Amino acid sequence: MKNLNTLLAGIFLAVALPFGALVISSQVQLGSLGRAPAEDGGPLFPSREPGLAIQGRAVYVSLGCVSCHTQQVRPAGQGSDIARGYGTRPSVARDYSQQKQVLLGDRRIGPDLANYGARAKDLGGVHAAIQHNGQFAFLYSGAKQDVPSERAIALAAYLQSLRQDYSSPEAKLKQ
Amino acid sequence: MTQENRSGRPQGRPPEGDSRLTRTEAQLRGPFLLFFVSAVIWLLAASVLGLIAALQQGSIDAGPFRGCEVLTYGHIAAAQRNLFVYGWGFNAFFALNLWLLSQLGRFELRNDWLATLGGAVWNIALTYGVIQIFGGNQTGFGLLEFPREVGPILAVAFLLAGFWPIVAFARRPTGHTFASQWFVVGASFAFPLAYLLAQLLVLWQPASGVVQAIAHSWFVSNLLLLWFGASALAAVYYFLPKVLGRTISGYYLAPVGFWTFFLFAGWTGPSSLIGAPVPLWLQSMGVVAGAMLMVPVIITAINFHGTLSSEGGWSRAWNDTTLRFVSFGAVAFTLFGVLNAAFGFRGTNAVVRFTSFAAGQEQLLVYAFATMVLFGAAYFVLPRLTGSLWPSAKLVHVHFWATALGTVASSIALLVGGYESGKQLADASVSLQQVAKAGSSWNLTLVVSAVLLLVGHCAFALNAFGMILKSSAPVSAGRHD
Repeated sequence: MKNLNTLLAGIFLAVALPFGALVISSQVQLGSLGRAPAEDGGPLFPSREPGLAIQGRAVYVSLGCVSCHTQQVRPAGQGSDIARGYGTRPSVARDYSQQKQVLLGDRRIGPDLANYGARAKDLGGVHAAIQHNGQFAFLYSGAKQDVPSERAIALAAYLQSLRQDYSSPEAKLKQ
Repeated sequence: MTQENRSGRPQGRPPEGDSRLTRTEAQLRGPFLLFFVSAVIWLLAASVLGLIAALQQGSIDAGPFRGCEVLTYGHIAAAQRNLFVYGWGFNAFFALNLWLLSQLGRFELRNDWLATLGGAVWNIALTYGVIQIFGGNQTGFGLLEFPREVGPILAVAFLLAGFWPIVAFARRPTGHTFASQWFVVGASFAFPLAYLLAQLLVLWQPASGVVQAIAHSWFVSNLLLLWFGASALAAVYYFLPKVLGRTISGYYLAPVGFWTFFLFAGWTGPSSLIGAPVPLWLQSMGVVAGAMLMVPVIITAINFHGTLSSEGGWSRAWNDTTLRFVSFGAVAFTLFGVLNAAFGFRGTNAVVRFTSFAAGQEQLLVYAFATMVLFGAAYFVLPRLTGSLWPSAKLVHVHFWATALGTVASSIALLVGGYESGKQLADASVSLQQVAKAGSSWNLTLVVSAVLLLVGHCAFALNAFGMILKSSAPVSAGRHD
């Protein structure tokens, strides 16, 4: 405790070891995850993100939507996510492998959005949801606040692109 | 009392200081006041934003500033948390850590302009970052929300402003060291490491997929426990024995407490990812680390509460402004540790996950513990540095009662409210709207407590700024030395 070098070495290890063991080793384990078919010859999932969805995510991030919305479905037995209809299966790491920025979130003031694209009925419904009863009216114009701005269009495309309704090697959909 | 009569000084007790302003203190007065004044200004700004956030919370259509883009909840919440943590918490601990280690190591800060420069850069970068958040330029990762160009600037500013405690430790004249010194050195060294690594892997060269979330959770645990927690523990270890004039009970345990705290705190991050799409072994590591963190929590509890419990310590603490705040914080830390362990397990965590419970735990740590300790420290240090008394005893009372009641009320509202809504959410037949409606009574408590905190902070700011202005008036100039 009297020797600064011993103290600093210990503290360095206290920071570096968890970093190596938690962060670097999960990068080793998960870093190479990519698109994969659920069974041989099947289609590859998750789909690549459309360009408009990538723009939409920038809007999602900029408005701080992550303060109120998560994007992760927990397995059955931990909470009621699947029973609540947030998803048909638990989220797995591969679902996020195509996303440049992963917004899991840790607070649900609003519903989970991991599988929103699959349960959204039509584009009108998505825009109604984005408006939040008029709180986000600034994304719309027109007399009835029904003309979406470019940002609202991109955001809607992003929300519609959020889907976890396919089978992947780690999480098969129940038939 | 002479300065050199401490050869036979018992362990577990900081050295007796001079009651007058010492040369070491006079030298750090400039940077200390810069850090302190900016900290209080950020605290006021954060509490105004906290009030707005409380008004908006839990209601998607009510609340003021409806339809105003700049003041959407996503902006307010991010700006509030960052201002509180980086504006108030960091500036205040820059000041306190520097003062503590100068006192304990009799360190003369000769290059005070470097610390001042660091403080100026830190606050300018922070202002820029917060303006960017309101302008819609944020990253989406909690406590790393500032646009990525701010990160390296804050890191450099930290090295200029926050690294002096380590220099003070290296240059101390005596071989003996005290618990506060280890914790401050640890905090000052661990934070910049964690911050730079997190900046790199989350913002500059983002790791792939969910590894971003893992790196982020690792960073947040480091920031909250190893910077806030360790810095505030250092202050408790100093002020309790100092003001009570006795040794820490069970002080021989303190080194174990220190090493176990630093050993386990860094692994607790993934406990905020339970149920998330990350490997199960990783979640289990977080759970285990959270439980192991009980070891340092118990040791600090023995050290702090043991010291307070002997010979009427509690009543003396109650009657001393500094100790009243500091022992409030010490109790809050123990409570935080117990809750952290109890709600770290998979079963209990599944109930409170995604509710306000985690915010309640953070409130316990950064407010009820760290901030209350900082307030107590200010009541001890500022009169020494400015050479004048607190202008108003009434404002001190307002400050204590408003902040104490405010933080108790908001912690209870976030924790109990979070637990209740978690229980309801577990039943899928209860809709999200019904849960929000059932929890709306807690929203009123949150608004009231935000008002209380704001009132308390205004009282504190008035008192402190009044004192600083009075002491810099020409009449009292040059009174020392």
